[in-house]
This record gives sequence, C-alpha cells and structure tokens, in this order.
Amino acid sequence: MTASIRTLLGASALCATGLAASAETTLTIATVNNGDMIRMQGLAADFTAAHPDIKLDWVVLEENVLRQRVTQDIATKGGQFDVMTIGTYEVPIWAAQDWLEPLDGLSEAYDVEDILPAIRGGLSIDGTLYAAPFYGESSMVMYRKDLMEKAGMEMPEAPTWDDIAAAAEAMTDKDAEIYGICLRGKAGWGENMAFLTAAANSFGARWFDMEWQPQFDGEAWKTTLTTYLDLMNNYGPPGASSNGFNENLALFQSGKCGMWIDATVAASFVTNPDDSSVADQVGFALAPDAGLGKRGNWLWAWTLGIPAGTDAPEEAKTFIEWATSKDYLALVAEKEGWANVPPGTRTSLYENADYTAAAPFAEMTLKSMQAADPTDPAVDPVPYTGVQFVAIPEFQGIGTAVGQQFSAALAGQVTAEQALANAQTLTEREMKRGGYIK
Amino acid sequence: MSTKASRAAARLMISPSVILLLGWMLIPLGMTLYFSVLRYNLLMPGDNPFVGFENYSYFLTDPGFTAAIWNTLALVLGVLVITIVGGILLALLLDQPMWGQGIVRILVIAPFFVMPTVSALVWKNMFLNPVNGLFAHLFKALGLTPYDFLAQAPLASIIGIVAWQWLPFATLILLTALQSLDSEQLEAAEMDGASPLSRFRFIMLPHLARAITVVILIQTIFLLSVFAEILVTTNGGPGYASTNLTYLIYVQSLLQYDVGMGSAGGVVAIILANIVAIFLMRMIGKNLET
Amino acid sequence: MSRAVKPQRKALNTVLAWGMGLLIFFPILWTVLTSFKTEAEAIADPPIWFNFSWTLENYFTVQERSNYFRHFWNSVVISVGSTLIGLIIAVPAAWAMAFVPGKRTKDVLMWMLSTKMLPPVGVLVPLYLIFRDLGLLDTRIGLVFVLTMINLPIIIWMLYTYFREIPVDILEAARMDGAGLRDEVVHVLLPMAVPGMASTVLLNIILAWNEAFWTLNLTAAKAAPLTAFIASYSSPEGLFYAKLSAASTMAIAPILIMGWFSQKQLVRGLTFGAVK
Repeated sequence: MTASIRTLLGASALCATGLAASAETTLTIATVNNGDMIRMQGLAADFTAAHPDIKLDWVVLEENVLRQRVTQDIATKGGQFDVMTIGTYEVPIWAAQDWLEPLDGLSEAYDVEDILPAIRGGLSIDGTLYAAPFYGESSMVMYRKDLMEKAGMEMPEAPTWDDIAAAAEAMTDKDAEIYGICLRGKAGWGENMAFLTAAANSFGARWFDMEWQPQFDGEAWKTTLTTYLDLMNNYGPPGASSNGFNENLALFQSGKCGMWIDATVAASFVTNPDDSSVADQVGFALAPDAGLGKRGNWLWAWTLGIPAGTDAPEEAKTFIEWATSKDYLALVAEKEGWANVPPGTRTSLYENADYTAAAPFAEMTLKSMQAADPTDPAVDPVPYTGVQFVAIPEFQGIGTAVGQQFSAALAGQVTAEQALANAQTLTEREMKRGGYIK
Repeated sequence: MSTKASRAAARLMISPSVILLLGWMLIPLGMTLYFSVLRYNLLMPGDNPFVGFENYSYFLTDPGFTAAIWNTLALVLGVLVITIVGGILLALLLDQPMWGQGIVRILVIAPFFVMPTVSALVWKNMFLNPVNGLFAHLFKALGLTPYDFLAQAPLASIIGIVAWQWLPFATLILLTALQSLDSEQLEAAEMDGASPLSRFRFIMLPHLARAITVVILIQTIFLLSVFAEILVTTNGGPGYASTNLTYLIYVQSLLQYDVGMGSAGGVVAIILANIVAIFLMRMIGKNLET
Repeated sequence: MSRAVKPQRKALNTVLAWGMGLLIFFPILWTVLTSFKTEAEAIADPPIWFNFSWTLENYFTVQERSNYFRHFWNSVVISVGSTLIGLIIAVPAAWAMAFVPGKRTKDVLMWMLSTKMLPPVGVLVPLYLIFRDLGLLDTRIGLVFVLTMINLPIIIWMLYTYFREIPVDILEAARMDGAGLRDEVVHVLLPMAVPGMASTVLLNIILAWNEAFWTLNLTAAKAAPLTAFIASYSSPEGLFYAKLSAASTMAIAPILIMGWFSQKQLVRGLTFGAVK
C-alpha cells in the first residue's frame, strides 16, 4: 500500500513541478478564483525561481467555498494551509483571537508605510500588521459612455441616486437586450448585502443603533430597499436575483448593462479589450449619494495572512512579501501591462505616471477609496466598524440570512415590507442569541 | 445447513463490517450529540458552556425550518415521481426492437456518470441562465420572454436537474426487470385480446414492483442529502424557496460556524432520516420478501 | 425478441428512442461542444452548433491554471482504493448473510443502509476534528477510508443480492466433495458472483468518483481529487462558459469513458435483487 502510494505521489509530483529537491519546504496557499489571484498563480514561477527551496501548492476556490474552508481550518487549527487569502472582515476578528501570525519585521524595501492608510488601519491591531493587502477596492459607478451619449445625457462625476435612476431609464432598451442598470442580487453578506449595506449608508440607514438594536424597521432602510427594487425591476436584467459580481461582470463585458455599480477592481476587466466588447466605452463616476453626506461605496481588500501554527512561518512571510511588494506590481506591469496590476494597496502606485496613464480608472478608484471610512460608515453613529459589513463574528450568518430576504424580494416572492420585517425579526433573534441585546 | 459452527463463522465474517459501520456511525454521532448541547461557535473560542436544549429550540424555530422540511419532501418525492414514471416509459421504449439499441442505451446512461457539481454548473450557466442560457435563446427564438428558472421556480429547477441525473439509474434497473419478464405470458395475454394498457397494468407493473421498490430505496438515500446542486445553483434561495434540511444545516453549522446549532440540526435530521428509514424498511420488507 | 415486428414499427421505435436518447444526452454533448469554442462563440445567440473555431485553447488555459493530472490521479486512487477495500470487507459479510441468514439479517442490512442517510454536513466538524488529530486531513488514505465507509452498505447489499441468487445445492454438492469453506468461496462462489461483483465495483467507483462533499471538505492541495478541481471553476470572473465547459469535460470524461466501455457489465448486475 505504502509503496504504491509513494509511487503515485512520485508520479503526480513529477507531473506537477518536475523533480523535487529534498530540503524544500512546501507552502500550501489558499486563494480565491478572482482574476488577480489567478494572475499571481501564473507569475509564481518568478518567486520559485528566486527561492528554489520553496515549493508552492495552490488551492484555488470560489469565494464562498474558500471562506468556509479556511475559517473551518483556522478555527479547528487543522493546519492545512500556510498562506490564506482573507478579507478585511476576517482580519481584525481573527487577529484578536491570535489566529494570525503578526507580520512584523518586514524588510526595508517592502516599505510598509507605502500601503494606503485606510487599508493598513483595518489590517492592524495596536500598530501591528496581521495581513498584507493583495488588492484593495472600493465601489463606483461604471457606465457606458456611448449609451449615455445616445440618450443625450451626461453622467456627473458625483451622481445622486436620482441621477442614476434617470440614466437607467434613458439607457434601457429591453428589445436590444440592454438593461439600464446591473446590480448584485445573489444572496450573501459579501454579495448583495455588500452593495445594499453600502447603499444604505448613503440613505442614512444603519444596521444597528448604539444599543445594538437592529434598524430594519426604520424609514431609511425602506427607502434603500424600495429604491433598489424599483431600479432593478424596471431597468435591471432578468435573473438579477442570482447575479453576483462575476455574473454582472459577464453581462457588462458582453454589452448588456448600461451601468453597473460594483467593485473598483472590475474597472480593469471591463476596459480590457481582450475580454470586454465595450472596453473603450466605459466611463467612471463615484458611487451615488442622497445628499446626506455619505456615499454608497464600500471599502474592501483581499489580503494574505499566515495562520498561527503553520510549520513554515518564515517561508510564508517571504511569499507574502513577494506577492504584495512593489516589485510584484512592476512584474505584472512588465508582463501584462500597467492597467492589470492589482490596484488599491499602495500610495506609490497612484503616484506612478505610467499607471495613471494606462489606467483611466485610477483616479476614481483612489477617490472612492478615500471616500469610505470604516470607523464612521453611516450618517448616524454606529457601535461597529466596517462600511459594507459589521465586524462581529455573527455578521456572516446574519448578513447572509438578511441577504436571502432581500434576494427573495427582488425575485418577487415577498414584498419589500415583508422582507424588511423578516430581516428585523431574524436579526433581533440572532443578536439576542449572541447576547448583544436582551 | 446452518449448524452452530457455520453460525459462528458467519458472525465472524459479518463482524468487521458491523464494527466499522458502528464506529463510523456512533463516534461522530456521539460527538454531534455532545456538541448539540453546548454553545460552541468556531469563531468565538472559549469554554463552550453547556446550554441544554437552547440550540434545539433555536434550530426548530428557525424561520427556514418548516420550509426546509417541506422542500426536502418535495425534492425527494418530485424526483422519485419523475424518474419512476419517466424510467418506466423509457424502459418500455428501449425494450422494443429497434436499430442501434446499444448506442441509445449509452446515450441514456450518460448523465449518471456526471458529477453533481458539474451537472449543476452546466445546467445553471449554460441552460437556465436567463440571459445567456440556451433556454433563454430558445425562448427568444420563439418570441417569448426568457423565463428566469432559478429565481421563479428554484425548487422545480433543482428537481429537474436532480431528476436528469437519476433518470438513467431508474431506467436501467426497470429495463433489466422488464427484460426478465416471461414473454410467453405477454403473448398469451395478447392472444386473449388484452389491450396493451391492461397488459401493462396487470402483467408488467406487478412484475416491476420489486424494481420500483429498489429504485425508491436507493434514490431516497441519496436524495435526502442533496446538497451540491443547491449550493451551486441557488444557495437555498431566493428566501428559503430551495433550502432543504441538509442545506439548512450547512447554513447553520458551516456558514455561521455555529457547531452547536449545526449539531442540533444534525440530530434532528438523523431522527427524521430514521423515520424515513423505518417507513422504507416496512415497505421494502413487504416487497422484497422472497 | 422472438416476436415478428413490422419494419414501420421498428423504424418508429428507433426514431423515438434515438430522439429521447439524444435529448437526455444533449447537455453533455453541448458542454463538450462548448469546450472547443471561444468565449464569445459560447454565448452567441443564435447558438452556433458546429461551425465554430474548434479551438483547444480552453483546455490549455485550464491545464495552466490547475494541475489536472494530480487531481485525476487522486480521483483514481481514491475511488478505486475505496472500492477495493470495501469489497474485501464486504464479501465475507455478504456471504454470511446470504448463506447463513439469521432472524435479524434483514434488520442488520437495513440498519447498514440507514447509516447512509445521516446528513454529512451534520457530522463534518466532529469528523474534521478527528481527522486533524489523526493527521488524516488532506491525505488520500483518509479519503479512501471515508469513501469506503460511505459506500460499504451499498457494496454489502449488492453482493448480498447476488449471492442469494446462487443456488444452495451447488454449495452443498461442493461440500459433499469435501471442499472447505475457503474452497467453497474461492472456487464455487466467486466465479458465479463475478458478474455481480464487476457491477458492484463499477457502480461504487462511479459513486466515489462523484462524491463531492467529503472530498472537498477534507482536502486542500495534496489529496484533492477532480471534485475540488471543478470547484475552482464554479464562478470565475467574466465570460467563462467555454473554460467551464473544458474543465467540466476534463472532470467527467474519464468516468464517462470507463462507464461506456463497461456499461454491459454495469447494467447486467445493476439489479439489486429486483429481478428474479
């Protein structure tokens, strides 16, 4: 048995990377199947060439599956991964539980100070960095310049929700399969709730008041949800209740959306002529507001962290330094062009003239990221941090359950009022169970 | 022939299987029972205090619970009805003389080899997608508005996908049973002037009873825990429209990392599965007696 | 098939059956076709049937991104390994149940089957903890064990139904000739049970190959089979129908081809005692 398994192992290792040296360390890296990460996997030969004693094993999974796998593994100390791709939501919670290795002692050349302050702050506890950002994002409006022109309209740089509704109406042409606006509808705290929570901030809504009482019974959430439903029912694509980021990206790239309010990283995909049929027609604007002082944009970063208890912390740190360094950005620029480097992590990138020339969306991305404040996300004060999420462990469950309700409202199975009432009840229930409220 | 010695030998031969399966069942079951009375959330490490039946009361009053029970039943029954009725019709058709029977059988059997994840992905994206899916193209070609299957009829769509996967299995078993039918009996009935329908009703159907029972038993075992198809296509939604019991437990235990609540859900599901098992055993007991 | 059939009737049957067969097979055919298209051709409306670019690029892209052969080998080792080990444990049990039935044999059999009804999600965390402590996470041995346990009841039941169909007289005749228990099993029983065993093996390889819950949750990189390979394609960015099709084709092709080549053996034994 053992012999045959060893033979098989040998055979598969041979298929993988050629002959293996004996003193090498293998890093198992868990990551999301997003374009930038897949690019990193493709460029990893650069890392292994410089570090021949480190072998990389990739586990690339869809976002939700990945999140479940790594959380389960780190919480049970399963030890299956050496580097994990996690979001700004997980980092503070995990770091507080000592589940992550602190990223101290990074080299001079790495230049920690260069990481955008808004992002760095969210990844540090008491000044110690616990994960390094691979790319950062906010959200913004991406729209079709040609369609706006055809409709005789112009998109303001900082639109209101009314501007968005008017533009959506003017661009919609269902016979030609052009839908004025595409928004996330797929249930999930990181899917439709990311958009809706951020949008709610601009309408003056919030998840909880200072006593942790859920606020779905308030007027502000009602305005948020009805605005969203009106937009999507009148001008949205069919099947919107199962559309997430990737589905909408496909729709926009094939020319079926007039506007799309979503992650700023999408900008480099929709302007890439290899994948997008509308590459030269995309304009950008800040996420809309309702005149209350907050915009409906979020702040997020995918980061690389090291689970505590890994048997190769030094090698893992070496890898993370490589993947999030300035040199890596230069490497991507050299191989794929400046427009394709992972954005939103380093100040120096936005000061780089090559980048701003190649990436028409750079300025808007930076402005959007600066417009979001995780410590003061809503119009009214809140007891939590996080723009499009609430940084408490219970939020994933609650956010997804509420997301299901709003997704059902979009599919027409419940009314907006019912969805909000259900959201209120189930959030109260979970908050009671969690001991936040009596 | 069952002497004392052969009985002892028989016991010895069965015991490895029994011991392994017993361990496989009891160790996780014991741990599940234990966790189900603790407040145990993976994201909040601590001392996991004993909370009695709190997890059970939360699970049973979960807003999705009743929906999940009904959806589970609808899923199992829906797929069983489609595959058995469809399987009988297909088996009758394939039992007829024709050219290229072997190739047709290869075509019909194929879906059974497809991974549930793959079949769900393919159906969701390439067929049911209301913009780029093949059905949407077909609807548009016919001048109709594309129907949004996964939002408007999520459970029915999932039943359809799962039925597609299991139809070959039912067809094959029913076909084998049909082919073992004594053809003289049929011919005699035909001579007596029995109509095709009454021949089917009074000769074929009784003969197929055992095969149908087997199909029900095996498929029920797999259908109770349908999971990948739901995860990939609808995530249990919209709302709770396509959440079955397995998926609800997944949401509780893995999505919320609430091991206590997930374990309580697991225990509830085990109890329900056993009710189904007893019911099935009665039925099988009647139909599979020699 | 001794009845004489009019050629018209046969033609009608043929058309109907081929129509149904193609309809059922169509989703797979469409997937395979799409895997050779470009992404733009994959979503073209009206759909392009055969007149597209027939590119292999999607396959190269998929292979570049994931190590297909490693996943493939893991799938082979896990499904074949678990089936063979299951067979070794199951044959004696099924033999004993079939030839020395006791009062509770049927209950034991039903109990075994009922262990398959336990929802895997409910026991994932306990099992994950056990696997962690035994160092079995992300190992093929661990997965072989789990899949053996999952499929053991089905294996026992299938073998039991085949063994029961073997006439007892033959065994008694052999015993008269002075054959021992071992001879009885090896020389009399097994040859008669070979078709049934072949079918059991095939069915269980298929079931193990397609098992997607444990194989995904208990592995990371080293032992991950094709079910994990496909999980990384479930919703990539942008247009992905062609790449998804290529990955799907790569995941199902081995088992589909095996199934087709052995379908006679598979079908012959796939009766679960339903045919007398």
